[in-house]
Amino acid sequence: MAPKSSAPTQQTTAIQTLWKAYNEQTSDRLKFIDAFLFFLMLSGIVQFLYCILVTNFPFNAFLAGFSSTVGQFVLTASLRSQVNPENKNEFKEVSPERAFADFALGSIVLHFFVYNFLG
Amino acid sequence: MLSFRRIFLLIAAVTSAVSAKSSTGDSVLVVVEPSRQNDYSIFFNGLKEKGYELTFRAPKEEKPVIIQDDVPSFAHVILFASETKNFAKDITPQSLVELLSLKTNLIIALSTKQTPLSSLAAEFSIVLPPPGTPLVSYFPERSEPPSVIPIAPDSSSSILSKDIHPVWFSGVPMSLGNNPLLFPILRAPAESFAAEVDGGSADALVDSAEKGGEGLWAGSQLSVVTGFQALGGARVTWVGGVELFSDEYAKKEVSKSVESGNKKFASDIATWTFQETLVLRIDRTEHHLVNATSPKEHYTTGDEVEFAAYISKFNPKTGKWDPCACRKDIQLDFTMLDPHVRTALPPVPGAPGKYGTAFRVPDRHGVFKFVIDYKRKGWTHLHSSTTVPVVPPRHDGYPRFLSAAWPYYAGAISTSVAFLLFSALWLAGDVREMKKSKGKSE
Repeated sequence: MAPKSSAPTQQTTAIQTLWKAYNEQTSDRLKFIDAFLFFLMLSGIVQFLYCILVTNFPFNAFLAGFSSTVGQFVLTASLRSQVNPENKNEFKEVSPERAFADFALGSIVLHFFVYNFLG
Repeated sequence: MLSFRRIFLLIAAVTSAVSAKSSTGDSVLVVVEPSRQNDYSIFFNGLKEKGYELTFRAPKEEKPVIIQDDVPSFAHVILFASETKNFAKDITPQSLVELLSLKTNLIIALSTKQTPLSSLAAEFSIVLPPPGTPLVSYFPERSEPPSVIPIAPDSSSSILSKDIHPVWFSGVPMSLGNNPLLFPILRAPAESFAAEVDGGSADALVDSAEKGGEGLWAGSQLSVVTGFQALGGARVTWVGGVELFSDEYAKKEVSKSVESGNKKFASDIATWTFQETLVLRIDRTEHHLVNATSPKEHYTTGDEVEFAAYISKFNPKTGKWDPCACRKDIQLDFTMLDPHVRTALPPVPGAPGKYGTAFRVPDRHGVFKFVIDYKRKGWTHLHSSTTVPVVPPRHDGYPRFLSAAWPYYAGAISTSVAFLLFSALWLAGDVREMKKSKGKSE
């Protein structure tokens, strides 16, 4: 879903154009997913900085916390690509319901491992 | 009844007076030329009085053999045949070394002649001067020939008794190599040197001195009586000249009306060599947690552990092992390849024979050993090794959740909560869309 430069006459920077196009052309569902992804990214960055700047002890807790954000990010990103209407040709056999079920199951398994590893 | 007991006590007293006081056995084989046997009667009678059973054998006699069926026939062997070049076929340098590994003690006398025993000396890293070069000294001024030397023993030696008068010596000096098991019992006087007075060649002496460096064959770094304690515990004493044990030297006066110390010195040497004195053993060791009594099968990193060894010393007077708090410098190692802990193992006051210490198990898990490795010159070597595994703490043996890790816990929990919220909203959105689409279609 690369945004097309719909208004070349406007004197705006590329980023503003991009942001506008995104706001206009993305469905609410995908925006919702993107918000979740953004939150996961922030959480991962915070934990990584804490590990580098403060302490990586206990290391297993860092691995668990950081990999939970990374894993959740990957699962959510795949959900996003499967439910995107523009990718319908790619995922003919995967309905949005099926995609969400895969996402939920994968996430539950991920969290199971994360909590085992955390303590 | 009373008289019966008295007789029994009498018999016990008699037998205990007769039994020898060596910690390893009473039987002694003396290899000596029969013609010279009576020259050493004072020394031999001294041994007999102590209760040793002496068996005499000429160097070329075939019987009794020293090792039969890999078992040594005697507890101690004295080799006084210092000038014999050909021994019976069971007395070879190899068989004498084998005797040592079979824990038989040896007293070996050397002479200025080249014999099989001289080549054996080299195996103990004792360097002998070339043949025919005895120790000579022109001090102090005396009527004896320069090769008959009075030597004052070192009074600080733990092997010799105190206040021994100077000892008459005549024979070869020994230069000691750097074998740590070797130590001098009697050093040559500072003014003495090896000289070719006994038919040796001056050139050979110069050659061998050049090999060993200047001053190799002079002065007090030379030894005339040398002790060696094998790793198995057997003791060997090398004596530079057999005359040291002779009746003639024992009776000879060192100065006017002062008897020589030879008799006492010879008896002290035999006492040490035959493992009567300076004999230690570790009876048992124990280890447990501080404030516990029974040993644990394994320890956890960071445990406070107590280790104790019970050491006793052989008492030649009673023939028993008495607890001994006599050593102050024993060390304990707690090793896994390297010693992770090395600490003093001092005697415990009030508990004779007990040596104990407490220490913290290092923060390293693996198979560890409590090691006592105590080697002091003259004293029996002590070695003890107890293996214990050291394990990391159990899953409930240390705090699982640390305050330092709260960002990680918060990260993991927030991800899960966010996932649940996301799922709920997603499904709610689904329902709404379905309603919407239903409303459209209707």
